[in-house]
Amino acid sequence: MNFPKVKTKPLDSLPSLPDQVASGQVSYEDHMAESKRVQRKADIYLMIGGFFMGTLVLGIIGFPIFFYGLTILRRAGREGLSVRPLMVTLIGFLVFIDAALNSFGWALDLVANHTLINRTITVAWGNFFDAGYFWHYNQLWIGGSGAPGEKSWEIACVLVVFPMRMAAAIAFLQLKRWGHQWLIVTCWFGVVIWVGYVANMTIYADLRYTNIGFPVIAWWIYDIFYITPFLAIPYLHTVNREIFSD
Amino acid sequence: MSKTEAEVDPANQQEVLPEGTTAYFKRLHTWLRRAIYVCLFALVVEGTLFVPFLVVWYGWPTLSMHQICDELQKVMYSDDTRTCKFPYPLLGPAEAADEKTSQDTWGVQPKPHYPRLGFRELVTIHDQRVARESQAAR
Repeated sequence: MNFPKVKTKPLDSLPSLPDQVASGQVSYEDHMAESKRVQRKADIYLMIGGFFMGTLVLGIIGFPIFFYGLTILRRAGREGLSVRPLMVTLIGFLVFIDAALNSFGWALDLVANHTLINRTITVAWGNFFDAGYFWHYNQLWIGGSGAPGEKSWEIACVLVVFPMRMAAAIAFLQLKRWGHQWLIVTCWFGVVIWVGYVANMTIYADLRYTNIGFPVIAWWIYDIFYITPFLAIPYLHTVNREIFSD
Repeated sequence: MSKTEAEVDPANQQEVLPEGTTAYFKRLHTWLRRAIYVCLFALVVEGTLFVPFLVVWYGWPTLSMHQICDELQKVMYSDDTRTCKFPYPLLGPAEAADEKTSQDTWGVQPKPHYPRLGFRELVTIHDQRVARESQAAR
């Protein structure tokens, strides 16, 4: 069956904006002003979408808003406007959202461990995926997870790594050199976190996986998508650094 | 898909790569982009679904959130008299600081003795206890 084809814009027949700038039809200032306007418009949608996606439960609302922002950027790039590269946008927002989601759960356990929502959702999560959040919960003087080592990871990550990573992601999205450099630093931190965390869970596997909903495999299915900083590392080391400036 | 990322300029037939991507790393960046889309989608979907999934698994709407908290604590500390205090005093001590009822085999690798909870098993446990209590009251 032949479905009718979606008509695309006749891009090849129209001169792109840089051509128009070169031929003097459009001034360089106009080109830059238009690029800035479109970039700002896209960023508003991306930020609203990113905000919702960082809240966990409202993520599905943020997803289409975020993708609309991406579409504006892609279209602008195709029309020859000087906008941020798609990969920089994707990595910047994904790393930010990843850090926000991680901070959200761990901050609940660290400082809001006696709230009803935490003692219901986090403890249920613990009973289902990882008993580090079920076993002797709220027994340590600081409250929250009592699994050996878990609190140390929370303090190191929520107070140091994730804020650093979020700040770096914002500067990376602004195409600043320090954003690129610090994103490399904090994404390698991500490797340290994963190796240390998985080793800790494996060493204390008896208490973390005894009689929980779906041991080990469910934890991997749930958590594997948090490898996003790993995906950023090859890009950060192979991108042409001249696109970032001070 | 690659048309937008690496268009062919009809004027000089030269490939136009996205800013920051050199020809040598074009394929790597394409695959990274696809993997990032997958992760982004998966993070959003699981982030949205896991809360409703868990509350339903543990008995909502038959049990309220407070009752789920209550039942989880009874299992966790192996103590049928334990209750989930709510609201909890803001600067109070950790609620389970002095508990002595939880069952473990202690050692360098502690092993808990609480049972595994199946799909909506907390509802059954809750109903059975309520029935027991009302029978004892009679």
